[in-house]
Amino acid sequence: MAPGSRTALVTVTLPPGSTLQDAQRRLGLADDEVDAGYGLVSIDPARNLFALMVTEEAGSRIKGLPGTQGPYANPRIHPFGPARPDDECGDGDDDTTG
Amino acid sequence: MRLILQMRPERDVVAAVIDPHVTTPPAADVAGPIPGLALDAAFTPVPVPQPRPATPGGDPLSLEQPLVFSMAPEDASVLVRGEVQDYDVASRLSALATARPDIVGISSDPVVETMPVCGGAPVGDWHDVEHAVTDELKSEGLDGRNVALAVVDTGINVDHLGQVLGSTAAVDAERSWKPAGVNEAFGRFPVAHGTMCAFDALIVARRVALLDLPVLRAARQGATVMEGLLSDAIAAYAHLRALLEAVPPEQRPGLVVSNSWGSYSPRWDFPPGHPGNYSDNRAHPFNLAVAALENAGADILFAAGNCGRDCPDGRCAYPDRPITGANSHPRVLSVAGVDTRGARVGYSSQGPGRLSQRKPDVATCTHFAGSQAFGPDSPDSGTSAACPVAAGVVAAVRTRLSPQDLSPARMRTLLRRTANDAGVAGFDYDHGYGILNTAAIVEALRRRSKHTARS
Repeated sequence: MAPGSRTALVTVTLPPGSTLQDAQRRLGLADDEVDAGYGLVSIDPARNLFALMVTEEAGSRIKGLPGTQGPYANPRIHPFGPARPDDECGDGDDDTTG
Repeated sequence: MRLILQMRPERDVVAAVIDPHVTTPPAADVAGPIPGLALDAAFTPVPVPQPRPATPGGDPLSLEQPLVFSMAPEDASVLVRGEVQDYDVASRLSALATARPDIVGISSDPVVETMPVCGGAPVGDWHDVEHAVTDELKSEGLDGRNVALAVVDTGINVDHLGQVLGSTAAVDAERSWKPAGVNEAFGRFPVAHGTMCAFDALIVARRVALLDLPVLRAARQGATVMEGLLSDAIAAYAHLRALLEAVPPEQRPGLVVSNSWGSYSPRWDFPPGHPGNYSDNRAHPFNLAVAALENAGADILFAAGNCGRDCPDGRCAYPDRPITGANSHPRVLSVAGVDTRGARVGYSSQGPGRLSQRKPDVATCTHFAGSQAFGPDSPDSGTSAACPVAAGVVAAVRTRLSPQDLSPARMRTLLRRTANDAGVAGFDYDHGYGILNTAAIVEALRRRSKHTARS
């Protein structure tokens, strides 16, 4: 995946012990369409549920495939401190999916 | 609705209220029965002088001129107080105003409170937190030994911790985790928010094994120094769950996960109702990951947030219900903030939560002089500081009780049930079930161990 690509967070149901390559094969994703640094992340073994990051285009293409869900929001997260009650809003850009 | 009534009763009654040498007549004697008003008999009637123009010919109805005040019985009035039912208040006030000719004024009697802490100087220091929270636990030997406490944050600096605590601190690098692209070594991150959180947990549970998970270290172009993406937290939670699942369920040690972070803005999310939404959607991958980690035996705590109505953080952008996403998850303990005197800090987010209504769960100390992570004069503040203090309490309890002895759900129940009720009676959206009470927790644990020994 090219640096700076807009990404989508998706989930897929796969057998236990699956790898990123297994997910790519299952979803028909090329190497440059997945975030290999992020990899395939197990979310809930009881559901055989995994997460991966793909390009926005790939996310749109695989949407609706059996066992696949997303794209999901990947919001920015910030520390809740120190208290800054006098701050002005400083949201930065509006990138929804990261 | 509570009211103050200004009355002008018979002159001899007013004189008796004014005269400091005679016993003030009770409210019932001053006011007599007034239909529709429950008179407050415990309130001693108060005389009020009448303002008059200081110069002859002045406007008798204007307060915008030099005035003199007359306490003569023929001029003064008397205040009493009482309550009318909240239903149809306008009609009741109207009826009250015409009920008696000696009622000359009616005003509301609002609850007055001190202005909550919003920012600025610390209230007390970390030794006050030790006194209020730690000492009871320590006296029972509950110090977090053999328990892991994961600080999911900006990374920990152990040298700074050691300097401020006055003894060596360490992280368990083998069980720590960082996102791709974060290059610093565990325990060697710049002194910042994560160091503050680690310090605040150690105040309570000095012997825990700290796990360093610097999820909020920016590793992307254009990001600020302290932010991350939720996908990084998903990966961190997968790591923590794998740590637990590497051990048979009956042998799993305590793992406490402290999260002093969240999402400030709906602009980074899909709208509620969208299947990809995070803030209101238990099916979002991170919210599923939270449930799976808790199910594996972890105690998960989240800060409630700094979007309290009195003085929200300038970044708060949710128009209402700012405890969102995992911070409001039913399987986590959502932590509000009070100062070391037990008063709610004004920035502490109020419920109801979005995934689970009854949030926050409990409150504990924040806004005290502690880690000096932001400078020697800056307090450890935000619900960011309250969350690791609460996590330290959980870790301390885990010293004796593994997740097999007391499940994470029952741990949350214990903390809620023993909390000191604060604010209105029972659960409220400011403090949850109340302020963490370690004396009551210790007492509950003693009763539990007696019961276990007998059976």
